[in-house]
Amino acid sequence: MQAESEIWTTALFNRFLAGPLDTFLNAVGHPAADPAHPWQNWITVEILVVALILVVFALLRSKLSVEHPGNFQLAFEGIYKFISGQASESIDHHADRYVPFFGSVFIFILFMNLIGIIPGLESPTMTPAVPLAFAAAVFLYYHWMGLREQGAGKYLAHFAGPVWWLAWLMLPIELISHFARPLSLTIRLYANMFAGERVTITFLTLTYFLLPAVFMGLHVFVAFLQAFIFMLLAMIYVGGAVAHEH
Amino acid sequence: MKRKLIYSAGMLMLLGSPIFAQTPAAGGGGTDLKLPFAYLAMGIASGLCGLGQGKAVASAAEGMARNPGAAAPIRAALILGLVLIESLALYTLVITFVARQA
Repeated sequence: MQAESEIWTTALFNRFLAGPLDTFLNAVGHPAADPAHPWQNWITVEILVVALILVVFALLRSKLSVEHPGNFQLAFEGIYKFISGQASESIDHHADRYVPFFGSVFIFILFMNLIGIIPGLESPTMTPAVPLAFAAAVFLYYHWMGLREQGAGKYLAHFAGPVWWLAWLMLPIELISHFARPLSLTIRLYANMFAGERVTITFLTLTYFLLPAVFMGLHVFVAFLQAFIFMLLAMIYVGGAVAHEH
Repeated sequence: MKRKLIYSAGMLMLLGSPIFAQTPAAGGGGTDLKLPFAYLAMGIASGLCGLGQGKAVASAAEGMARNPGAAAPIRAALILGLVLIESLALYTLVITFVARQA
């Protein structure tokens, strides 16, 4: 909300790559507020998280083995089983088609939430823009999947509700509730992460140096929980969109 | 007894009425009171959220006690419900931040 100070990743990016980003932003039509420092905290840490995830999964790929799975592989097999189990609970048919999207969303948001706990780095999910991007992606994804699965006519017709003579009532209600979904996804993730940091800082000003660590511990738990809930709600929305009425 | 408590709580809240007598700040009439009302809204939201979550946890614990075999689905429903109720209080927190800015 107020102007955030730069962290070391942003300072690095601003020192070496300010020119290219300025060119890009001017070309797109949104020139940066401060041309000497166009990079902001959230985008640089997000790039760092992407690089980290790529390294982790490249390492995992190189060590995959059927006969002798190492602990690393077993851990990720557990994660995959958890996600696909959760997906098959929420979606009736062909849940495994959608698991890559849910898994990506979960891992990305989880890593982004947790990286803020490392001193010197800041969670990208603390800026409203990043959860909004995820919520918009989930919104577009589940509508696209619903259209693809059921066909345009049938999918749009299900907004009208179960009976045709209630359509005048159901249509506004359904539209509002569908548009409230990305809003609630955004605010839930953003407010949890932002409030977590704020509470820790507030308690740091109030008391000794170990007690606020309890709130940081709570923040770690909330980070896991919010990533899981984002994924779970995405699954529920996709399940609702592709469900065939029997 | 309950009615007496509610009545006395209402009277105590009216004790703060001199705040309406203060002369408006140079910027204009209502801008002075935005922040205290935002804080009050946050308190109400957190209180009601606490009540709702307490009810959710109570029925989840009772369900798990009656049917320990169904503990895993009940726990999943509990976590989902708690997070959705929590997000309602967080919407109010966001409004508090907006009131601080403007």
